[in-house]
Order: sequence, then structure tokens, then C-alpha cells
Amino acid sequence: MPEENSLSDYINKSNEITKVFNKKIRIALLSSFTINGLSEVLKVKSMERNISCVVYEAPYNQYSQEILNEKSDLYKFLPDITFLILDTRNIFGEIFRFPYSISHLERAKIVEKKVKEIKNLLNKYIENSNSKIVVTKLNIPSFSPNGIFESKTEYGFYNMIEDFNKQLTKNYLNSENIFIYDFDKFITKNGEDNVFNYTQFFFGDLKISIDFLPVLGQDLMKYVIGYLGITKKCIVLDLDNTLWGGIVGEDGFNGIKLGPEPPGNAFMEFQRVLLSLHQRGIILAINSKNNFEDAIKVIKEHPYMILKEEHFATMCINWNDKVSNMKEIVKEINIGSDSIVFIDDDPVNREFVKSIFPEILVVNLSDDPSSYVLEIENLIDFSVLKITNEDRNRGKMYLKQKKIIELEKTSTDLQTFLNQLDLKISIKDVNEFTLPRVSQLILKTNQFNLTTKRYQEIDIEKMIKDSNFIVTCVQVEDKFGDNGITGVFIIKKENEKEWRIDTFLMSCRIMGRDIEKGIMAHIINKAKENNIQKINADFIPTQKNKPVENFLSDHEFKKEGRSWTYKIKSKIKFPEYLRIEVE
Amino acid sequence: MSNKLYEIISTVMKIDISTISDELGPKTIENWTSFNGYVLLNELETGFNVKFTIDEAMDVKNIADIKRHLTNKGISLDE
Repeated sequence: MPEENSLSDYINKSNEITKVFNKKIRIALLSSFTINGLSEVLKVKSMERNISCVVYEAPYNQYSQEILNEKSDLYKFLPDITFLILDTRNIFGEIFRFPYSISHLERAKIVEKKVKEIKNLLNKYIENSNSKIVVTKLNIPSFSPNGIFESKTEYGFYNMIEDFNKQLTKNYLNSENIFIYDFDKFITKNGEDNVFNYTQFFFGDLKISIDFLPVLGQDLMKYVIGYLGITKKCIVLDLDNTLWGGIVGEDGFNGIKLGPEPPGNAFMEFQRVLLSLHQRGIILAINSKNNFEDAIKVIKEHPYMILKEEHFATMCINWNDKVSNMKEIVKEINIGSDSIVFIDDDPVNREFVKSIFPEILVVNLSDDPSSYVLEIENLIDFSVLKITNEDRNRGKMYLKQKKIIELEKTSTDLQTFLNQLDLKISIKDVNEFTLPRVSQLILKTNQFNLTTKRYQEIDIEKMIKDSNFIVTCVQVEDKFGDNGITGVFIIKKENEKEWRIDTFLMSCRIMGRDIEKGIMAHIINKAKENNIQKINADFIPTQKNKPVENFLSDHEFKKEGRSWTYKIKSKIKFPEYLRIEVE
Repeated sequence: MSNKLYEIISTVMKIDISTISDELGPKTIENWTSFNGYVLLNELETGFNVKFTIDEAMDVKNIADIKRHLTNKGISLDE
């Protein structure tokens, strides 16, 4: 069983929550059986991540009524995420025990009918609610009356449930609001006999045992993390006894443990997991106390190194302490330290980093390299509701970034550097193709963000359709390639003479290149073309958006009361080093 | 009397150890809801490494019943 606190700990702790956090989540729980205790688990697990969580629990097995009645408490609660937790017994009723009392054709018909029922509920719900809904796949029980003959049975018991799951999943592949939680995988991981306890089932209609409710809660937190966009983006890694066994400075290039034989194979597999995360957009970096020459030789030349130089956004390999190196890494990669995961086999280093950066997720790596893989697999912090092209190409972007930093170092002044970069920005209205990325930027950007307003896709879609809003994104290219969509601004037309900048943000990747000057010039000129006299704007300070604190005054906005205003006189010139294309 | 037993009851039911007595049960302990009753039995199973049958679970109406069933399972409560 995974390391977890007992349910009664969660129940007690949840009653003691008094702190209110900035991050908030409203969760509705619908289920076909008793899930008492799950709300307490979610509340406490949210609190541990500095999130205030409010939960609505629909009455037991009333999910259809709650969804079908638009005036139900479920709708009044206005959830952000709704979990619909179904179970196979409940969906199939008598057929669960007696699948072979009917023909395979009848079984198929029942599945079709049940899928349709759930689909109707889900569609009805998202039509009437702004909530995301997560519905569980049905668990396939290990017992079948047909026993080992099950796999020879046409559209047998297992097939029925598999088909139900498949049909449901297929329907919502591209849905922004309906998600399918693989409850069957949860059972696979934790074991049917552990999760389902017959005594508790008969005694209290518990279909998830008391010990495993916290484990389920942990898994469901993935959706909270994805919804709030508090996903970790970068893994900072130690080298000796982390990426390979032994100490390269002492054991030498040929003495370290890395290769197909144990224990070297554990390190290879660990590197493979890291590479798979990198391929889907997680940034990797090195923070190691080592002779640079020793370590880089392994990275470049060792035949069994899975991770290569190109996979690391930055490599801090020196004799500085881990905290100084971490500061360097944060600066170089230009991300919030709260989006970092730190992996180091040395508990002293871990404690040191944790003491200075409490917001960094420091993994308590065990002494046994054969458990490293599982420790990474069990992290829920990389969860996203969507993987965009920008995510997939992030690794390449950072490689490019490295080259830009090199160029900056060799340029004598900023102007020369910017001229050499050959910057081009394309300003375009947001459409269905760019919407997911725009929403991701709005949910995640912390530093260069004037108002830090968080909008879900559905909110942005409404603004796009509303003629009172201009929702625009910015794509940035330079001599090293395409940075993708890295800027967003939203204008609210307050009246015929005035606009307000509702949102203005840029990804940290393109900060420091004065691109914002070009974007602002575009906004002012576009306003002028529309006979607008004033542009209003707000700066809402947060702990993280210091990079924009002087943004408005730098662009000649004047403070008027709480807000800032720019009086438009004439069109203004674009910076010379920028090529601007408006689509 | 067993500290461990009282500690578990006190944690799950959120009552002071000194107030626990044999005759207390769902009617006298506010937090002893049916669900919390399951949680209590589950915690006792883990804590004492025992397993209650469904008959034993259904038979528990107060603290004395819990003690009786634990004693029947060979748990010594006189520490």
C-alpha cells in the first residue's frame, strides 16, 4: 500500500482548516455509492498545496437527479470540477452477477443503452454548468462466472465493461470539459482485493475501502493541479548516485554504475522515465557538485547515458553550494521556483534547498536506486488537462534559449543584441487552434502578467464571441526559430472613447527582449485607428509579477486613482529591431 | 486499561480520553455516526492487527462491546 495517512487523520485535520488561501477550488462529488470521507481527504490535500477547497457532496446515488434538475443544489454550488464516481455493480445491476443469463446480443444492447444514459447526463451537465466533469471508467472485476473460458466468450462480461469504457472515452477525446478518469488503472495499481473490502461493502455499502479513500483522493488531486495550472514544469537533478551510481570524481568514467547490469540498469531506467517526461514538455536541468570535465565527459560520451547534453536546459556543474546553483538555474531558465522539482540522493542537500526554497518540491529519494523510478511515477505534480504543441517542443525551445544567452554574452550592448536576434512578432486574433495555448498561458503565467486574471477556456471563448472584447495572441520568432505563442492581451471596450487592458502577459521565455514595447505600440495604434482617446489599465501586484511593476509608467501611462491611463495623441513608432505582422 | 484502544477511540471520535467509559456509544458520542463507526473499526483492525467479522461489526453498540470482541481475539487490554 502506498504511504498514506489514515482516513481519520484526514477527517480530523479537515476540521481544523482555518487558513484561507488565494488559490481556490470548488469540487462537487457525485457517486453511485458511499464516498464519505473523500471530501475531507480532498480538503486536506488541497490545504497542503495552499489551496482552499470547498466540497459539495450530492446525496448518495442521486447523481442523475442532481444533473437532470437544473435547479438542484449541484448547479447552485457552481463547482469548478465535478467528479462522477461510478461503479460497475450499480451501472449493470443484476447483469453484474448474471451476465450469462442473457445472450451476447442482449449484453451489447445493454452496454449501448448504459453508455447513452451516461452520455446524456454528461452532455446535459456541461450545457448547464461551467464545471469540468471527470467521470470514472468502470472497473473490470477479476471474477467472471465463465472463469478461464471468459476470453473465449463472445462479447463476454469483461468485453461488456471494456466496451462501455471504450465508447465513453472515444466520445470525449477532444472535449474541453469532460474527462475520463481511469479508475480501472487505479484498481490495477492498488489491487482489487485491497480497494474493495467485502465486509465494508456489506456493512456500509463502501465500494472503496476506508484505507484506500486517501489513495484515491491523491489520484484525483491530479485534476485539481491540472485545473489550477499549478503543474511542475522543471526537474532539477543531481548527478552522482542520482543519474548514475557512484561518484564519478572518485570512481572514474569506467567505475560508475550505469549500464544493462544491476544496479546500473536501475539508473538507466530512471533516466528513461525522465526522458519520457522531457519529451512531453518537462524541462530538465542539472545541479551537481562535481568537476565539470568529469561530469560532462560522462554526459557526452558514456555509452549508457540515456539523457544527453541536449536534454538539459541548463547544467550547473561546479563546486558551488546547491542553493547558489539553484538560484542560478531559476534565473537562467526563467521560471518560478515553485514550478521546480528537485531530485538529489543526499538528504543534507535536500534539506538545504528546502530550507531556502520551501516552494520547491523536494523528492525524498530513498537509499535504494531500484525505487527511484516508482518515486517519479508516483508524483502527481506534472498533471495537465491538456498537452499543447508548445509543451512538446519545450525542450527544443530551451536549447534555443541557451544559444540566445550565448549571443547575449558576446553582444556589447542590448541594442546590438536585439538587432542581431532578428525578432519578428505576429499578432493574431485567438481562434479555436490557438485557444488551448492561450488558456494555458493565462492560467500559468506569473511573472510578466499585469493583472494575473485567470480564465478558463470557456471564459475566453465567451470573450472571443463578445464584440466588446479583443482577445489577441502574439507569436514570436527569432533567428534561432519559432518560440510559438508566447504573449496574450485582452482589451475590453469600455465605451466608444475608452479601452481597458484587461490582460497583458508574456511567457518568461521571451522576456528581456523588449517585445512588450512592440505589442504596446500595436495596441495604441489600433486604438487610434478606432478613434479611441484613452487606454486604461491596471497593475495588480502579486508576489511574482515584479517584472511588470514599472511597465505602465515606462509606457507613459499616468496613474489616475487606482487605475492607469494613457491619453492617445498620435500613432507611435514600432521599435526598429522588431518586425511586426498583424494577421 | 489499554492506552492504545482509548487513543484510537479518542482520535476517531474526537473526545477526551478521560471521558471515555464502557457504556458510551453512538447515542452518547456525537461523532459516532454510522460512517465514523466503520472508520473506528477499520482503525482498530489496523491498530491491533485483527479482523472483525460482519457479525462482530454489527454487534458493536458501545465501547464495552469493542473491548469484548478485542479480548475474544486474544488482545490483552490490561496494560
